[in-house]
Amino acid sequence: MSESTTPGTGRSGVIHDLGYRRYDGPREGTGAIARTLFLTGLRHAYGLERSGKSKVMPFLLLGMSLLPAAIIVGVVVLTGLRSLPVTYAGYTSQTQLLVSLFAAAQAPVLFSRDLRHRSIVLYAARPLSSAAFGFVRWLSMSVALLAFMVIPTLLMFVGALLAGLDKSDQLSDLYKAVVLQVFLAALVAGITGLVSSVSLRRGFAVVGSVMVLIVLTGVVTAVQNIAQSQGSDSVSVGAGLFSPWSLYSGLGNAWDAGTRVPVSVDGAWVPAYVLVLLLVAAGCVLGLVARFRKVGSR
Amino acid sequence: MGAPPVISTAGLTKHYGNVHALTDLTVDVGPGVTGLVGANGAGKSTLIKILLGLIEPTGGRAQVLGHDIDAASQEIRRLVGYMPEHDCLPPDVSASDFVVHMARMSGLGHAAARERAADVLRHVGLDEERYRPMGGYSTGMKQRAKLAQALAHDPRLVFLDEPTNGLDPAARNDMLRLVGRIGSEFGIAVLVTSHLLGELEQVSDHVIVLDGGRLLRSSATGDFLRRTGGLLVEVVGTETERDRLGEALAQRGLVCRPRGTMVAIDPPAPELATEGVAHDLIRDVAADLGLGLMRLEPDRGHLEDVFLEGGAHV
Repeated sequence: MSESTTPGTGRSGVIHDLGYRRYDGPREGTGAIARTLFLTGLRHAYGLERSGKSKVMPFLLLGMSLLPAAIIVGVVVLTGLRSLPVTYAGYTSQTQLLVSLFAAAQAPVLFSRDLRHRSIVLYAARPLSSAAFGFVRWLSMSVALLAFMVIPTLLMFVGALLAGLDKSDQLSDLYKAVVLQVFLAALVAGITGLVSSVSLRRGFAVVGSVMVLIVLTGVVTAVQNIAQSQGSDSVSVGAGLFSPWSLYSGLGNAWDAGTRVPVSVDGAWVPAYVLVLLLVAAGCVLGLVARFRKVGSR
Repeated sequence: MGAPPVISTAGLTKHYGNVHALTDLTVDVGPGVTGLVGANGAGKSTLIKILLGLIEPTGGRAQVLGHDIDAASQEIRRLVGYMPEHDCLPPDVSASDFVVHMARMSGLGHAAARERAADVLRHVGLDEERYRPMGGYSTGMKQRAKLAQALAHDPRLVFLDEPTNGLDPAARNDMLRLVGRIGSEFGIAVLVTSHLLGELEQVSDHVIVLDGGRLLRSSATGDFLRRTGGLLVEVVGTETERDRLGEALAQRGLVCRPRGTMVAIDPPAPELATEGVAHDLIRDVAADLGLGLMRLEPDRGHLEDVFLEGGAHV
């Protein structure tokens, strides 16, 4: 450290220039960098470490999805019901609008910003490749979504235990719900991520995600119900392959996790549902990775 | 070049279909500041992106800091900083937060990243503004923030792509001085691009000139500014006196033209080229005309001349 500014030159209030200091401390490997990026993305999905304004939407939605769970817990504890009025997996299905809105609103934060402002090139010039960047972003979004669904689920679970409901029944229900939520989170994060990485304007990204998650699900549900009322059960179950939420409900129904569907999903439909869910999720992740790789090299 | 080259390419080529962005480039870059000059589309940015491992070359090899770009591009990106040409800053984040984050993305721990970010932002001259969102920055401040993120992890080499783009003359000079300091004082090798030849004269130790994806010339900056063999003469008075001298010299067999307030004389013909002959002639002519000689000096070349010479050195 050199003292390049000599004291007593008559100038006051000068910051003494220490000169350029080299850094020879430890440097983390790619795994640690990816972990940092993952955690930053997870926090950003909830508006943490960002402006106050950006915390409003995620926490408002989270609060809204917790409110019914809190009421259910209150009712069960106070009235001494012998079971929860809704299963854990069923609760997530019934709050699907909130989950979808959270995904649609927050995916652009993780997938559009760096592409729109071109900061992706700064990431691409660092050890983590832009393809890995896209994958880690998807992981952040998946875990953020999972947390969004798991938090109300856990609140209900704790309430159920406090109300003295049978622990093993509740645990088995909880297990099924969380497994289904993991798959759903991976799928929805992939879909909203891909939509947001292609349509870089936040408005378009949100509308695109809403179209897929809410409008498409509405159409699929309508088709399922009409087909069921017309007696074409296989059309009703088959239509369920075309939206993330009908896939979730269908698998929940097949696994006896208490989600409601017009026609029960069974037989060969179950592997078909699993396969479609996995293929679409994997396809979205691959699409995301390819998209980030392409943009990162421009 | 005494030290091992920082960058070394051999037959590096990048073709996009019929577009030849880079053709058979073989060049070495040493420590200090190296200017990479060429018109827009000459292949400067393409070269940087290939060296960073962001795009694959069609052919040829290259090493950066001793690492092969094919085999160890990740290792290269760990040791190198990059300031892109275009805007790349998120507007809703402060420079301070952004540089900390970028330092972490280069592998620095949390505390180290904070310390380095503060240091580097001070060096590039972002003071109180560093805590404001970057969306409100002037072009000069944005360029400084971009430079800061490139230096955040104390790289051994930085690629600066058109760092003076969009800056006014004062900010341009500040930026060039900073680039010079990075190369000398900070001890970080610099590869800096510009489409303005004149600016790189001031800061570069070495200049590489690209034209249409081909190497036009690579030499020490001093060689570009070598003596041309011509002379510059200035006499006391106005343009009238300058022209009187010029006409008189022309009559004595010297090819000359006005340049500013001076007379520029082309390298003299062989019979006058002997040391001092032309000088004596000019002195005598000025004395005969009764003009006061103010200045008589050798004419030096400019980087621009490389293009005028039309690639005679390839």
